[in-house]
Amino acid sequence: MKHYFKKISLLDYKNIVPKSVIGLFIILILLIPVFTQSVVIVSTLTLTGIWAVAAMGFTLVMRTGQWSLGQSAFMALGGYTSAILTVQMGLPFWPSFFISGLVSGLIALLIGMVVLRVGGVYFAIITLAMGEIVRIIALEWEPVTRGSRGIITSAPPPIVLWGHELVNFDTSLAPYFYFMICLVAVTAVVFWRIGESRLGRTFYGTALNPIMAEHQGIYLMKYRVIAFTVAGIFTGYAGALYTHFLQVITPFVFGFWQSIQITIWSIIGGIGSLIGGPILGTALLYNVGVYLGRTDIPGLQAFLFGSIVVIVIMFLPQGAGLVDLWKLFWTKIVWREKEYKTDEPED
Amino acid sequence: MPPVEILIEGLTQSCILMTMAFGMVLVYSILGILNWTHGWLYMLGAYVVFFATTAAGIPFPIGILLAGLAMAVIGILIKKFIIDHAGNELYVGVATLALIGVLEGAATLLFTGDDRGLATILPGVLRLGVVAVSYQKMAVIGFTLVVMAAMYFVLNHTKVGLAIRAVAQQPVAASLYGISTARLSLIVMGIGCALAGMAGAITAPIYSINPFIGMSPQIMALLAIVLGGLGSLTGAIVGGLIIGFMNSVMAYYISYVSEVVLFALIILILLVRPQGLFGASAK
Repeated sequence: MKHYFKKISLLDYKNIVPKSVIGLFIILILLIPVFTQSVVIVSTLTLTGIWAVAAMGFTLVMRTGQWSLGQSAFMALGGYTSAILTVQMGLPFWPSFFISGLVSGLIALLIGMVVLRVGGVYFAIITLAMGEIVRIIALEWEPVTRGSRGIITSAPPPIVLWGHELVNFDTSLAPYFYFMICLVAVTAVVFWRIGESRLGRTFYGTALNPIMAEHQGIYLMKYRVIAFTVAGIFTGYAGALYTHFLQVITPFVFGFWQSIQITIWSIIGGIGSLIGGPILGTALLYNVGVYLGRTDIPGLQAFLFGSIVVIVIMFLPQGAGLVDLWKLFWTKIVWREKEYKTDEPED
Repeated sequence: MPPVEILIEGLTQSCILMTMAFGMVLVYSILGILNWTHGWLYMLGAYVVFFATTAAGIPFPIGILLAGLAMAVIGILIKKFIIDHAGNELYVGVATLALIGVLEGAATLLFTGDDRGLATILPGVLRLGVVAVSYQKMAVIGFTLVVMAAMYFVLNHTKVGLAIRAVAQQPVAASLYGISTARLSLIVMGIGCALAGMAGAITAPIYSINPFIGMSPQIMALLAIVLGGLGSLTGAIVGGLIIGFMNSVMAYYISYVSEVVLFALIILILLVRPQGLFGASAK
């Protein structure tokens, strides 16, 4: 009898209900600036989204099995490019914003072509060193980066269409919020398409079994470099938006600790998913970090954040991120399905 | 030719990096993971010797051993309670990265972020003609020689050393011959972390101590490992020597650009020899 019920249910409700819950949640988030003008809420959400883009970039690199510990350096590169172009060279905002991601992607391409020949731990160490190098250059190249004083940038110009001022970045934070949403959406769509395509499956193959992939005729380095470059481009855009949102960039904003945090958000969020995992991980852990940072005691934030991460890791099921718990929640708690077994012969 | 003082400073830095890189490579070859917390154990080792000599009045050499012992205990606790309980290699990496925050935060909470100095230990300089060498730097160099000799003896002439070399080469075959890999990895983690702690302790009189000093030796030691080739103990020593010397000599001529140049040089070496100077062929 049970089998018939399964067959006649036209709607695949077990698939539709979780997705519509996610959709509802996204719509609610989109409407937040309409309901509230609170600077704290809107700016926290904007920063969460910006960091989520960086975490997504990390996940894309992780897809090819490489561990990049310098993702915040690309945010710094994008941010500084945009800041230098607008403030020091007087270019308009939009072209310089567009260039910022390309510059960061170009540097990712150059570094990746050298370092990704070996990959693995070498890559992690070199990207870590690269992050420090970018910070040192930003700190010491006084005439261009203004050293530790940082560069003060201005808000993007208002968007004027047919004589009407459509969007003004100076009056409220809502434009920044929707700018962030656009960036996250573009990144998510691009990464989703990459993940679904042949390219994404090749990425996965190079990580899963590099030797076998190589014997199938896949040139490992090429795919690693592609992933690293695409991640570099979008991380650069995130950095540029971050710079124009906070309207200042200093060498201390993007350091080693930020790179580690991007790593932590992405991996705890779940690297099985290119989009959901990093966004979920960033949304939860970044805000935990911000909340903990409200104490005035120096060191308490790092201590508590690290402890929370270590405890979460010890209790996560093997190889699963937080995003996998979402599926587990529906199957185990809501639908109360039995454990799914693959090798059960059917009568 | 740079002044002799710069060369001696380079030798001192090399000694620290050698000790750090040696411990990291040892841990990597047995456990198969990079311990990212090594630099922060270095920092804690410096604090241990600082409080042992100033607050408790323990002599400096015993303070160094105490720092090594304390870091060995911390390393074994990390291995036993965190690394063993993390799901896979990825989570081990994240856990050790998160431990950086825990250790740095704990040190800031306990000892505040202020600079502390231990310059009163081993004051004075030794004059050799025109060259003056401080006793503190001589202590670092002598200590490193002793540690390296001890490690050579342990690895080549004891049963534990034989077991370590066996597990590094063939873990499965070694366990068939009755070597407990789990116990051995605890021992190796202890030795590696003790080396980091003692490196921090012996350099405590030269540099100032604050919770953030772990970063620089960590990155430099990692670069030394990359240069020497991952998994090669000889490579760690040679890489440490080269990086330490180059860093201080170049810092003498071109100040802050030295790290950038160093980084470019390592990239060049990786271009020619992707597996490092002494590494086995890359996978």
